[in-house]
Amino acid sequence: MSGLHLHELSLNYGAQPILERLNLEIPEGQLVSILGASGSGKSSLLRLVAGLQSPSSGHLLWRGQPITEPSPQCGVVFQDYTLFPWLTLRENVSLALSQTQPQLSRAEVRRQADGFLVQVGLGAASKNYPFEISGGMQQRGALARAFALGSPLLLLDEPFGALDPVNRAHLQDLLARVWQASKPAKTVLFVTHDVDEALYLGDRVVILGSNPGRVIADLSVPLERPRSRQRLLDSPEFHALREQINDRLAVEILRGLNSQSQLEPSP
Amino acid sequence: MTDTSLSTPLTAPAKTNAFFWPQHYEAWLLWPVLLLVWQLLSQYLPLGVNPLIPSPWVTFQALHDSWPELWQGTLSSLGILLPGFALALLLGTVLGLWVGSKERAGRIWLPFARVVAPVPPTVYIPYAIAILPSFLVSAIFVVFIGAFWPIFQSAVAGAHALDRRYRDNARALGLRGWRYWRLVLLPAALPHLFSGMGVGLGFAFILLTVAELFGANAGLGRFVQYYADFADYPRMVAGILYTGLITFLSMSLLEAVRQRLLFWVRR
Repeated sequence: MSGLHLHELSLNYGAQPILERLNLEIPEGQLVSILGASGSGKSSLLRLVAGLQSPSSGHLLWRGQPITEPSPQCGVVFQDYTLFPWLTLRENVSLALSQTQPQLSRAEVRRQADGFLVQVGLGAASKNYPFEISGGMQQRGALARAFALGSPLLLLDEPFGALDPVNRAHLQDLLARVWQASKPAKTVLFVTHDVDEALYLGDRVVILGSNPGRVIADLSVPLERPRSRQRLLDSPEFHALREQINDRLAVEILRGLNSQSQLEPSP
Repeated sequence: MTDTSLSTPLTAPAKTNAFFWPQHYEAWLLWPVLLLVWQLLSQYLPLGVNPLIPSPWVTFQALHDSWPELWQGTLSSLGILLPGFALALLLGTVLGLWVGSKERAGRIWLPFARVVAPVPPTVYIPYAIAILPSFLVSAIFVVFIGAFWPIFQSAVAGAHALDRRYRDNARALGLRGWRYWRLVLLPAALPHLFSGMGVGLGFAFILLTVAELFGANAGLGRFVQYYADFADYPRMVAGILYTGLITFLSMSLLEAVRQRLLFWVRR
């Protein structure tokens, strides 16, 4: 059995249900965007897949093995606070390399780390500390570290959520490029609340409903790659999908406002 | 968080050490003013032939004359302070981080620490001198006790303050054991640890000099006590000034190390 299988997955914080009987099958090599309003448990879902948390019930399987704790099979990038501020970019990336490949010599770790930094456009900043560089550069560094881990499964939790639109577009292109270049292709779960971003990057868009979180729509994105923003904007399929998703989300948000009883607990 | 210069990272702003180079000249002016007040007090107060307030000139003369003795005293005092403080730093950090990062250890040890830590460490001095084989060992023990609790408590606080996002990142990277301690837990706890070290060093000096009053035959506290017994006030005041200077220099050294190691803390 390959890929990621989530079966009847539920998560509660105390009496409050966060995710309820969520089912999802993700074949290997797919880039899946996960969309949802606040309170839909997007981040909680990612924490479960990362093994950072255990579900209240249900199963998670990666390549047929249950996920019970974090493993090098799976790299994670959060919205911020991903890089350790007391380490340089190179040290941050090296950390991932020496973690998965302890046999590498120090010089080799350094060489490979610099390679990953060059890949994300940070070749000149390898000796810089995170506080010395901009937010966009920090997220590039975070991606470099996740790539360096070499994991077949990559989880991205609103990684570009705190960036300005220009940087965001740059980093989306970078992610798409590196993902397409990865052989074999990595399986990516990309959590976002930006519909355009979800469509631009995803092979598939999964929409989570709120309170409690569950899958309310699962759409495939039949737009050919490599994608360009301009071609996407000219494509009627893109606009149809976007409208469909926006409608679905609007219904969900209205439903949330009407019930207005629970909010996603802040991390 | 704009990302305008990808290849030329921002450099950290140049920092001036406001402690040593006060921007306001008043801070420097205070010293000559105090000296003048001292001079006037010693000159015009009717204090008799062996004044309790010797004039600055007489005091500095005594400081100069006692230089060899004070230097010997410094070495003797440091011989107590350094081992005591180093042991407190080592054990306080290791135990504090352990108790602060392991829930079970915290449940067992923190209530105990809350009871024992507030006991004024000076009350241990007579008992330590009675129970331990030599004055040196008992003085080191007393310095250790004085510095241990502030450092321990700051290490616990530092471990508790470790941001969940850093912890998640470390777990996702598979960092464990010694690597986790060295690369994540210890650096993250350092800001707290340094405030504990500052308090601990202050306590260490207090306890050192108090212990020396009890039974030493050398050392800074002993120097002051010895000349007080002979009513040699110039030397006594010289000893007080000198001890103040040594304490100040030690604190400044600690501050310099702090600034160096905590360069990454956002100012």
